Amino acid sequence: MKRWITAMCAAALLLGGFAAQRTATAQEEPVIAKTTLKVGDVAPDFTLLANNWKTVKLSDYRGKKNVILAFYVLAFTGG
Amino acid sequence: MAKLEASDTVVLGISIDSPAANAAFAKQIGVTFPLLSDMNRKVLTAYGIMRPYDVEGDKYEWAERTTIVVDKDGKIQHVQQGDGAVDPNSAVSVCTNLHKKTGS
Repeated sequence: MKRWITAMCAAALLLGGFAAQRTATAQEEPVIAKTTLKVGDVAPDFTLLANNWKTVKLSDYRGKKNVILAFYVLAFTGG
Repeated sequence: MAKLEASDTVVLGISIDSPAANAAFAKQIGVTFPLLSDMNRKVLTAYGIMRPYDVEGDKYEWAERTTIVVDKDGKIQHVQQGDGAVDPNSAVSVCTNLHKKTGS
């Protein structure tokens, strides 16, 4: 029984250690990757494949629509 | 979304995911706007919003969460980055204002 408790404590410590290490790594990351673009700049044009496998070109909207470009981190990550 | 359509605005989602992943993602979250695949990261590079991520000791690079508003002249009107960019309200109000200003 005593040995079992010791093992549990060791495991808890190990896990705690990992968690602390992960937090430290996260803090070292740059908070933000600053874009090089500023308000007033012309947005670089692009052509990309949409989720229906058709291409979408940014300049196709010129003179027609305002465009919100929403860059998200990864699909299925909630944000 | 209705507010955006009223102000002549379209939304384009962009990430490094494949079209297939984006199609599944769009279905899951029920978005109606296109999700674009920047699989070779050329747009992320051009816009300077690649961010290094450390996953299990390996380095990866993909997008910083960013919202950019481009007006009808192709000019950037608004840039928002980081976790604040999750909330679309400020981008929406920029577009509503653009709409009022140009009246188109």
